[in-house]
Amino acid sequence: MDSRWLNGCPDTTFGDVHMDLTRLEISRRAALLTSAAIAANVVNPMRAFAQETPRKGGVFTVHYGAEQRQLNPSLQASTGVYIIGGKIQENLVDLDAEGKPVGVLAESWEASPDGKTITFRLRKGITWHDGKPFTSADVEFTAMNMWKKFLNYGSTLQLFLTAVDTPDAQTAIFRYERPMPLNLLLRALPDLGYVSPKHLYESGDVRQNPANLAPVGTGPFKFVKYERGQYVIADRNPDYWRSNAPYLDRIVWRVITDRAAAAAQMEAGELDYSPFSGLTISDMARLAKDKRFVVTTKGNEGNARTNTIEFNFRRKELSDIRVRRAIAHAINVPFFIDNFLGDFAKLGTGPIPSTSTDFYPGPDTPQYPYDKAKAVALLDEAGYKPGAGGTRFSLRLLPAPWGEDISLWSTFVQQSLSEVGIPIEIVRNDGGGFLKQVYDDHAFDLATGWHQYRNDPAISTTVWYRSGQPKGAPWTNQWGWEDPKVDKTIDDAATEIDPVKRKALYAEFVKEVNTELPVWMPIEQIFVTVINAKARNHSNTPRWGSTSWYDLWLSA
Amino acid sequence: MDAIKRYCRSPAAVAGLILLLIVIAMAISASWLYPHDPLALAGRPLIWPFSNPRFPLGTDNSGRDIAAQVFYGARISLLIGGVATAIAIAIGVLVGAFAGYYGGPIDTILMRITEAFQTLPNFLLLLVLVAVFGSTLTTVTIAVGVVSWPATARLTRAEFLSLRNREFVQAGRTLGMRDIQLILGEILPNALPPVIVYASVVMAVAILLESALAFLRLSDPNVASWGNLIGLGRDVLRVQWYVSAIPGVAILATVLAVSLVGQGLNDALNPRLKGR
Amino acid sequence: MRILSLAGRRLAASIPTLILILIGVFLLLQFAPGDTVDAMMAQMGGGDAATARELRHFYGLDLSIPAQLGNYLWRLVRLDLGFSSIYGKPVAVVILERLPPTILLMTASLSFAFFFGLLFGVIAARAVNRWPDTLISTLGLIFYATPSFWFGLMAIVVFSIYLQWLPAGGFEDIGTIQTGIWRIIDIARHLVLPALTLGLIFLAIYLRIMRASMLEVLNLDYVRTARAKGLDETRIITRHVLRNALLPMVTLIGLQAGTMLGGSVVVESVFSLPGLGRLAYESVVQRDLNTLLGIVFVSALLVISVNFIVDLVYARLDPRISVEG
Repeated sequence: MDSRWLNGCPDTTFGDVHMDLTRLEISRRAALLTSAAIAANVVNPMRAFAQETPRKGGVFTVHYGAEQRQLNPSLQASTGVYIIGGKIQENLVDLDAEGKPVGVLAESWEASPDGKTITFRLRKGITWHDGKPFTSADVEFTAMNMWKKFLNYGSTLQLFLTAVDTPDAQTAIFRYERPMPLNLLLRALPDLGYVSPKHLYESGDVRQNPANLAPVGTGPFKFVKYERGQYVIADRNPDYWRSNAPYLDRIVWRVITDRAAAAAQMEAGELDYSPFSGLTISDMARLAKDKRFVVTTKGNEGNARTNTIEFNFRRKELSDIRVRRAIAHAINVPFFIDNFLGDFAKLGTGPIPSTSTDFYPGPDTPQYPYDKAKAVALLDEAGYKPGAGGTRFSLRLLPAPWGEDISLWSTFVQQSLSEVGIPIEIVRNDGGGFLKQVYDDHAFDLATGWHQYRNDPAISTTVWYRSGQPKGAPWTNQWGWEDPKVDKTIDDAATEIDPVKRKALYAEFVKEVNTELPVWMPIEQIFVTVINAKARNHSNTPRWGSTSWYDLWLSA
Repeated sequence: MDAIKRYCRSPAAVAGLILLLIVIAMAISASWLYPHDPLALAGRPLIWPFSNPRFPLGTDNSGRDIAAQVFYGARISLLIGGVATAIAIAIGVLVGAFAGYYGGPIDTILMRITEAFQTLPNFLLLLVLVAVFGSTLTTVTIAVGVVSWPATARLTRAEFLSLRNREFVQAGRTLGMRDIQLILGEILPNALPPVIVYASVVMAVAILLESALAFLRLSDPNVASWGNLIGLGRDVLRVQWYVSAIPGVAILATVLAVSLVGQGLNDALNPRLKGR
Repeated sequence: MRILSLAGRRLAASIPTLILILIGVFLLLQFAPGDTVDAMMAQMGGGDAATARELRHFYGLDLSIPAQLGNYLWRLVRLDLGFSSIYGKPVAVVILERLPPTILLMTASLSFAFFFGLLFGVIAARAVNRWPDTLISTLGLIFYATPSFWFGLMAIVVFSIYLQWLPAGGFEDIGTIQTGIWRIIDIARHLVLPALTLGLIFLAIYLRIMRASMLEVLNLDYVRTARAKGLDETRIITRHVLRNALLPMVTLIGLQAGTMLGGSVVVESVFSLPGLGRLAYESVVQRDLNTLLGIVFVSALLVISVNFIVDLVYARLDPRISVEG
């Protein structure tokens, strides 16, 4: 752990740090080494405990930080729903420890050579929690009426899905108008492939169905109770289709909106697990040193995100590429990461994070390292010389209101840019207001938030760059910029079936957008898990927080 | 003057005045002691107070000098406190005086309006106003003033209801004094003591409302205010509690000063305390 | 009988105010950037335009503003508070579910604050400008000036983590659901710190007002007369002084109903209590108009009734005042 970050060296002044980049590099390496050491410690907690036999029983208490409007993952794709709904309902396919697709409700699959037909063979003998059998009719219903119609990102993914044929109870054939790369679908289904019971949803509006707040699924835990504003309870499913699972008796999700209060409850022994960076950076760093807890990014590699700087091209200054590059060069990202984000973030290299083994093009794409002199030179060259009081022009920065890191980042951006003569006014908004102002009204100069990478660039990444996005669609290209070359690369990659060619196309994409820089994504983060050290079989897949926890158990 | 002598007789009131003057002095001297932008990056984040002579009160989680923010924050708090209180008192006293004195339909109408503002919990109205009009310093100040006037109105009205039938008022009427003269010249000075004490309450509430907004991250992030610092310190409350504690103490001291002064004024202006 | 007719008249007189408030808040929120679908998108972490359009139609947000307002008022006339877009349940049900914790919290805080404010205010006034007065007044001011959220968090650190005397949050223990008397004790334990946190500010207010008002009254002529008559000091206080000194205090209770709900937003957030305060904050942030207006409606009724009772008590305390004005 980099103690420099925690306490501050009394004898080092700010000037030293800013100028001495070599020392920074060395210490950053040291920080990475120590964090790697910590990571290695928990890389495979199972290795140390492989000899133990799972203990049956126990209650696992989870920190539920932001209450959602409903609990059905077939209708809403977000970690806030999976943390509960993912234990009760199951997906067709999930990710295994290496991040490769593994069948859950589906046993096997195959794609036709033209990529327009994908057949899933479903597992036999699975029943819903109310006793009715799980069949391909449920898959057909969910795909056509929920994934395609209402599921965020699901509707884009299944845009060209025309029908799901069900020749028998164990077969579901997905028919597409345009070729669907099999590995894209398989990578998307863990998040976008949860199945709901047709017999409960077939009459009436699926969104108004009471089962959305009392879900019925096939998963290892059965829904018991939801006290709005307080807790959700689910009990062990004795008829679960996997033998000898689950181990836990009960899971309780406690609603705690205040992060400091959640940390207090963890320390008081009232919580076992806080998912998805649910505590403050400072508390997470502190609990990392407490033997009772394990603090790790393992198990969240599938939920990588990048911090963004979004440029509004409608501002004349920002439409000039030299200005955008100057802004990037003016910000000392490694310094920010080391001093403000601790071990929980690293330098990003573009829209595809390094955790994406299938698509990460490597660090050799256009980058913009900290270089204040270069920033000043570019701004001068673009014709924006400092005027009265050293100001060249001022900008309004809209930060998204979620995440402590965004708030720290926006302050740091403000401080850094004021040093090159660009004063920044930070404009605060709440969630709905932020989305409206940035993605609908375009009432911003700079915006910063999170870009969530969902295992495949085609799901929620390329929309940040593809032109033609409808006004008001959040987390899409609303910058007033478009590039037909980039559009073509994106479209080709979305329908390319050959995985090797696809990866190359996305590498091309990253190169193009890093050169043009309509959005800068300089920081890469993975969510952090804080969990009771007694937990076993945790963090064993890249999206562990969202999986069904059928193998989770608590030691004595 | 008699009142000043009476004021000075109370050690608490004098202490309060001194404390208030210190806060005002901090506000005035801020740009002289800390010529740089208090929100600029000054050093490594989360340096402890008294550990580095450059940062006597340490740095916050954005690497900014806490002492500088405390000095500049005095300006913002006094500004918000003063302006919002002025707005609230002005509206409230006028509404309450006329309602209490005249009674009847004027009272009914004014009280319905007051009730309208009061039935909406003031913090909720504040949240709605900030959600609608934004989180800049101006909107926050006006919003705080706008949600604070009903209490003063009610208090003033209660005093007026009590006083308007008193002997000295009746005497004034007999002497032929006009309503306005009676309201402003005779009754108001007697009605004011609880209002003055309450004005200090309003000012304290105004400062605390702004800090609550900052706690919920809804205040203006572009100025160095104590509330913003408390909100920032919320994320490091357990270990680096000083980031929230120091501005909290500053707020406490200012509110204390304002209240002691208000109390001292009440005791000084209250003629019936003569001789105690 | 007279009281009933007065109550009826007061309620009838309040209806226009009620309508005005509801229309006012409705229109005000229309100007807020973003609507409930934007807030929902923010929460979901993703969404496309088609989904957004569908949702807007579903919530009736694609109608014109007058049409929406008209719909709302028409439903209100039939006492239908509408459907909550956050919870997918009728607003009335949502509010009723969240009412008990808030009522309990507010009652506990108010009782604590009123009782101790009265007690200490009287003590301070009787010992005016001597050391008990200074001590009590200063302590009161310190309590007043302490931001409630900071006090709450520190209280959790001290009492829940280090001393482990009291729970760190929540309304009741959910590991083991209690019944009967044990449930009451369990809930009471969970409410100690929140009630203390919320009540501390009001304690300070009551203290100061009581003291100021006592001082005013203690020097009035009729008190001096009573003293001259040789009556015992305590008797003077309780029979003559207190009655009049209580007038501003009683007025304040009427004022505090609304303020407490506002203060409970922060306290409920720190202690994770499932009350109306947090619900109100959520409905502002998520632009759930129906729920927000429902809460406004309910709190309006609450404040109106409390103020009415206060005026009645007031008239009883001071016979020179008549309720009809």
